[in-house]
Amino acid sequence: MKKVLLVTAIAALCSHSVQAEVNISGFASVMGGKLTSGTGVPEFGLGPTFLANYPTVGVYEDEWTFKPDSKFGLQMTADLTEGLTATVQLVGRGADDFEAGFEWAYVSYELNEHWTIQAGKKRLPLYYYSDFFDVSYAYLWVRPAADNYTWQIFNYTGVNAQFNYQLGDWAMSGNIYTGREDDGENKLLSEFFGSTPIREIWKDIIGGVLSFNRDWLDLRFTYMTYQNERYRDGVPVLWNGKDTRRGNFAGFSANIDYNNWLLLSEVNRLTLDGGDFDTYLISAGYRIEQWTPYISYADFDSEGEVHSTTSVGVRWDFHSSAAFKFQFDDVTDDGFNGGQVAGDSKAITLGIDLVF
Amino acid sequence: MNWLKVMTLTTAMTVTSAMAEVAVIVHPSNAATVDQAEITRLFTGRGTTFSSGSKATPLNLAESATARGEFDSKVLSKSSSQMKAYWSKLVFTGKGTPPKELTSDAEMKAAIAADATAIGYIDAAAVDGTVKVLAKF
Repeated sequence: MKKVLLVTAIAALCSHSVQAEVNISGFASVMGGKLTSGTGVPEFGLGPTFLANYPTVGVYEDEWTFKPDSKFGLQMTADLTEGLTATVQLVGRGADDFEAGFEWAYVSYELNEHWTIQAGKKRLPLYYYSDFFDVSYAYLWVRPAADNYTWQIFNYTGVNAQFNYQLGDWAMSGNIYTGREDDGENKLLSEFFGSTPIREIWKDIIGGVLSFNRDWLDLRFTYMTYQNERYRDGVPVLWNGKDTRRGNFAGFSANIDYNNWLLLSEVNRLTLDGGDFDTYLISAGYRIEQWTPYISYADFDSEGEVHSTTSVGVRWDFHSSAAFKFQFDDVTDDGFNGGQVAGDSKAITLGIDLVF
Repeated sequence: MNWLKVMTLTTAMTVTSAMAEVAVIVHPSNAATVDQAEITRLFTGRGTTFSSGSKATPLNLAESATARGEFDSKVLSKSSSQMKAYWSKLVFTGKGTPPKELTSDAEMKAAIAADATAIGYIDAAAVDGTVKVLAKF
């Protein structure tokens, strides 16, 4: 990541005018891939498809495509001094035809060495990788397993308080957040799971994350509760006669990075209107100099919707700011009673992630 | 991460030999003691104070400096790529900012000598009376 002083240093040195140091950093992924085989879901009229990214509907089919996992992100942080900063992150995803939008836009104020308050638009920190899902350079695979990261809402606007404490040998950090998201035309629900425009609202969101780190061990607990409201073609959707339903999300993640061995895991449950949506993933990798081969298994299980992905791949840190990745995914869709998503599929993906 | 500062671009880089010893240094007036775990805390953004409770400002060397790779592997037990992935996660989620980077041992010594809260590291062969050595790795 490159730090650039936009305000001229010379002017700042000569006068006492207000100076904001603006840091620019960014990330990018260029990933191409294609299906090697797939069943699709004949009863929905869906051809062979690998749904690599649910929320943005990133889809691989028989022809090579670079869209589903390619993206560019640019982050600008203005340091207004005395603990106050303003940050925006602009992200353009191939799945959205690279139409860039503000994914993050928030002000941050450091209360003291332990607490920071932030307000604005941020990513929902539901799963372990949710809030840095787009920064593929920061994790092992081409993408966090699609079977876990299925939720149609991934941002919120609100307030977040984050903290950092040292407890003996353990570093404890986390955050507490509240807010809402009103997605005028939700991509996953409107385009993939249906054909009518769906407005999806998650409101009264209250959540928290608590992490403990020590040497090679990283533990994370996450919880969130919210009210769901949905409009199909402008008409409220009713659940048991009511126009809102409550969702409660809880998850636990344990990661180990020991003697070049990587062991990554998370298990999560969303209870929505009485029904359980269970997800988990487990991955293992071994670092050999710049090469890290890995295997991964991820699973989604709810009433009728049942699917899993087995992946094998390799990450090669060929450059100090970039990594090459190659991954093979094998999806099994055991959905029943209309709960199928995209059928079975096998696909390859390869490309480069970088940060600057 | 190449944190380039406009003002430091013109500074010439010193050439150091590979596999050199790394000296962790502070301002001569700094009475703090540190162990490897505490240095790791400061350079991974998990701590902001010395054990005495006084403020600590970690300063990193740029990747072009030989001592950087030595420091990452010997003290932090990570490769420079792993450190970059680690900081990417924090920077792009608004949870942390990596230490400022300086391009040479000479520049590091000057910055440490000018700031009583600073902690940095250089090639042990470059140590002189302007800074105090807390540990060698």
